[in-house]
Amino acid sequence: MDRCFNDVAQLLLKGTDRHLDAGTVSSVVITGLVVVFIGLILLILFVTLYGLIFKNINDKKAAKIKAEAEAAAENTRKEAENSARSAPAAPMEIEDGISDEIVAVIAAAVAAMSAQSGKKLVLRSVKNAKPSRSVWASAGIAENTRQF
Amino acid sequence: MGIITSFLETLADLARQSGIAGFLVDGGWKNIIMILISFVFMYLAIAKGFEPLLLLPISFGMLLTNLPYAEMYHPEFWDYGTITESSGAVNDHYIDYGRILQHGGLLDILYMGVKLQIYPPLIFLGIGAMTDFGPLIANPKSFLLGAAAQGGIFFTFIGAAVLGMSAAECGSIAIIGGADGPTAIYVSSRLLSKTDNIGVGTIALAAYTYMALVPIIQPPIMRALTTKKERSVVMGQLRQVSKVEKLIFPILVTIIISLMIPSAAPLVGMLMFGNLLKESGCCDRIAKTAQNELMNIITIFLGVSVGATTRADKILTIQFGEVILLGVIAFSIGTACGVLLGKVMYLVSGGKINPLIGSAGVSAVPMAARVSQKVGQEEVPTNYLLMHAMGPNVAGVIGSAVAAGVLLSIIKV
Repeated sequence: MDRCFNDVAQLLLKGTDRHLDAGTVSSVVITGLVVVFIGLILLILFVTLYGLIFKNINDKKAAKIKAEAEAAAENTRKEAENSARSAPAAPMEIEDGISDEIVAVIAAAVAAMSAQSGKKLVLRSVKNAKPSRSVWASAGIAENTRQF
Repeated sequence: MGIITSFLETLADLARQSGIAGFLVDGGWKNIIMILISFVFMYLAIAKGFEPLLLLPISFGMLLTNLPYAEMYHPEFWDYGTITESSGAVNDHYIDYGRILQHGGLLDILYMGVKLQIYPPLIFLGIGAMTDFGPLIANPKSFLLGAAAQGGIFFTFIGAAVLGMSAAECGSIAIIGGADGPTAIYVSSRLLSKTDNIGVGTIALAAYTYMALVPIIQPPIMRALTTKKERSVVMGQLRQVSKVEKLIFPILVTIIISLMIPSAAPLVGMLMFGNLLKESGCCDRIAKTAQNELMNIITIFLGVSVGATTRADKILTIQFGEVILLGVIAFSIGTACGVLLGKVMYLVSGGKINPLIGSAGVSAVPMAARVSQKVGQEEVPTNYLLMHAMGPNVAGVIGSAVAAGVLLSIIKV
């Protein structure tokens, strides 16, 4: 261990040192690269580890939400069938480019909320939301980050 | 008659005290050349769009400092002195800040922020507040590409040593390969002293010029080191990263890197603090200030005061040519190392990783990632590599800060 510390101490250079010998320069290069790689590999390990933990948690949550959505969709379907029998519903407004699957999922979510609150909620239209960041804001961020 | 004589004498005195007379004294011609060089950099910034946000303040600082008798910056105030501390230890890197505050010019006062290493970490705070580490968290292997691209820093150290430069000069030139202006200024302001043949301004000029030239320097290297098949790889979509993961990341990186390399703590710590402000969602006002007002104010102070250090005796030398040459070598090797490790990852992953994203590991956010995207789209126009390249790109920022910490730990001033 002492020898190890001695080796490190020998590697320390004074800023004014000139005509560095090949041994010193190669030590700096090897030490530098090894330390940078070790530091970033450690980060890879930690980030991967907690990424896996959160992926697991998120997958479980997603599975639960999916199961609830499916159950709600089933209820909605049944309710829709019932209401279709009783009175014709107003046509739902769906923007071009939105698939039936997405509409079904949103309808299921609305039905789930409806079941929870006890109020009868109706889905009247499905439209694409405008991007939260405007083109001008995106251009501003791009401009501010350009110098780096 | 007396009035006329007095008038003429006053005029003669004014002429002797004017800056024009300063150009005529010994060595005054060098200031004229420096002013002309500042015009060239102003032209590059304004007309050619070369990193204008920094190159314009730097070039104007260069103009101000070379105006004779303007007394805005005094290089002699920044020469290290030797004093004996109260503990009995001899400090041979003593700077008399009291004298600077009392007698310094405007640019001397502003330069204190560089010499005391205040501006670069604050710039990192702003960068952190603007950066989305999501692509890096989604694909942590990108860290490897960010580490590989730092090869340019350490291999250039060899080149500078071969040219007989001092350890401080070697470290300061090598860090240009990190393609990170604030880091280059941080390291060089800490290492360089009057005895060195290059100054902080020289390093900053070279670093920002090469960062502006990323779209020109990188593509030929990327094309030369990769095959058409490799460049055509279309990468899969990155996974969604949760908010909690984004919140843990800056804290984790700060702790790990700062414990490992304490000298990297100011840069990495502030970078991650800025990112935490952004990701927390509860400090929007502070995050926006860090991204905009603070960042812009510090950019002005940093640019103009670093420009002030570009005096004729540091620029009109053979060493300036060597810095420019070694700087481009550092940059090119960094790009090549990133692409080569990208090729290794391409092979190991069974052709799922496009090696072009490796070049983005040289920091220069987000320009280097844009270059990866552009070169990738030359082969497959529908290929969208930008988000994949942002991973190595932001990893490169962390990597260059770590490399800076390593250099500062090894080279003692």
